[in-house]
Amino acid sequence: MLPIFGSTPAMDPAIETQGLVKKYRDVTAVDGLSLRVEQGEIYAFLGLNGAGKTTTIRLLLGMVNPTSGSARLLGEDIRPGVRKPWGRIGYLVETPHAYPELTVRENLDAMRRLRPGTDAAAVDHVIERLGLSIYADRRAGKLSHGNAQRLGLAKALMHRPQLLLLDEPANGLDPAGIVEIRELLQELVREEGATVFMSSHILAEVARLADRIGIIHQGRLLQELDVDELQRNRRKQLFIQSRDNRSALAVLASAGYSTVISNDGSLELHDEQAIKHPDEIATILVSAGLPPTMLKVEQEDLEHNFLRLIGMSKESSP
Amino acid sequence: MNGILQSFQIELLKARRSKMPLATFLAFSLVPFVGGFFMVIMKDPALARRMGIISAKAQIVAGSADWQTYLGILAQAVAIGGIILFGFIGSWVFGREYTDRTLKDLLALPTPRSAIVLGKFGVIMVWSAILTFTICLIGLVIGAAVSLQPVPVEVLWQGTLTIAVTASLNIALITPITFFASAWHGELPPMGAAILALMLAQVIAAAGWGEYFPWSVPALRAGMAGPEYASLGWVSYAIVFLVSLIGGLGTLYWWERTDQTY
Repeated sequence: MLPIFGSTPAMDPAIETQGLVKKYRDVTAVDGLSLRVEQGEIYAFLGLNGAGKTTTIRLLLGMVNPTSGSARLLGEDIRPGVRKPWGRIGYLVETPHAYPELTVRENLDAMRRLRPGTDAAAVDHVIERLGLSIYADRRAGKLSHGNAQRLGLAKALMHRPQLLLLDEPANGLDPAGIVEIRELLQELVREEGATVFMSSHILAEVARLADRIGIIHQGRLLQELDVDELQRNRRKQLFIQSRDNRSALAVLASAGYSTVISNDGSLELHDEQAIKHPDEIATILVSAGLPPTMLKVEQEDLEHNFLRLIGMSKESSP
Repeated sequence: MNGILQSFQIELLKARRSKMPLATFLAFSLVPFVGGFFMVIMKDPALARRMGIISAKAQIVAGSADWQTYLGILAQAVAIGGIILFGFIGSWVFGREYTDRTLKDLLALPTPRSAIVLGKFGVIMVWSAILTFTICLIGLVIGAAVSLQPVPVEVLWQGTLTIAVTASLNIALITPITFFASAWHGELPPMGAAILALMLAQVIAAAGWGEYFPWSVPALRAGMAGPEYASLGWVSYAIVFLVSLIGGLGTLYWWERTDQTY
């Protein structure tokens, strides 16, 4: 299959922002954001609803003016009236919408004509690539949410952009659609060297795709980490069940292990020594006449990890 | 400018695919039919008497059943109806991008936003002009059909010219409406502004200051306050031009420079 995307090698970072601030009266939507995304990267911008993800994307696209700070995309300063970089950029902002009385094909052709130099065949190609062939002549107003999302992505991808800015691209897609889009984006980066900057509020979703993750909360970039680092940073816990958990708790406490009772009633240990050597814990309990009926080391799930990183977990310290 | 033609073609396609051209055509084409109806009443006093109150109204509006009066009715209807109908077209072309939430797709493209705005203006002008041309055409057919007394071509030409100038003035006054459609993010608020402009136009014209209020100027030019007021000074045209320019530049500025969060 022919690749549908294209890129031009360049030395400039794909995205570079310096102290980007956006205030709406008393509300600071984005607060001093400094980012650098290299070309060929998949960068996930993670945050809860209202964290400032969409405002950041709108700032990057020149749709809103920064209160202070600056942004550069593909080496071009983003300021009012700038036009140069847009031919190399594709985007999807918030829920995609299309002209309801135009068909899928007409909507795409309209966008193609507003992107001079895009070949007419690109419309059919992207329709096929996004699995919209059977809906090509259906009015956009009659599309399901998932297919409307595909149409939005098709508009973003049609002209073979060098940089993609995607706001919650998996919204409204079913699991098969999510996998399909993930593979499509991976293909785009692998075969064309394009850059993807995508926002999401689901860590598990982006952890499978992104090279790097930036976590934004209340307009501030809290942390940037690569995916390997993310996996390393995930906490591990040791869960234990015995015939008498209260007595087992006392035994472990007297042995110097800080133990709590988790929501499901089992004992929970965060002690690094205990996690590395659960056999020692088993020995202590067996010696005390309380052999464990269950002993397992579990890695913190990604959502819990994410909530902890943004300080919204019960245990927010790293 | 780069992209205006493409923008114009796309706006035309969006309009063609909607029901709006038909709806505006049906609304505006009532004008010559209603005018023709008045002419029939005026031509037949017996029928006018049988019509009671309606014929009394027809007397007030129409005066006598001739081409001059008939074309005058059409011009006055274009003057009043045009503010609403052309304003409606302007509100729809710009406001729909907000109500359909499609605006964001037009903001970060190689085609400048100004080209998109100018393409929209182009469609509004063409659309409004076609409607005006259509009612002129229907008017001539209906005038002939109700057997108005033949008159010199000069009379027909003057009447048609008055309609064209009146429509042009109203078309020029769409730009403030398109600005409100953009600044107020939709179709209904600017329609409210158009209705308010129409009401103010009536009051201000009645107070004798109409030649200085842009939305009163088309009606005065159409002869609504009598033929003696139809010859407007250059100041009136300049005011309309200036308001149109401010509305157009305001719309361009709004699209190019302000925060777009829709």
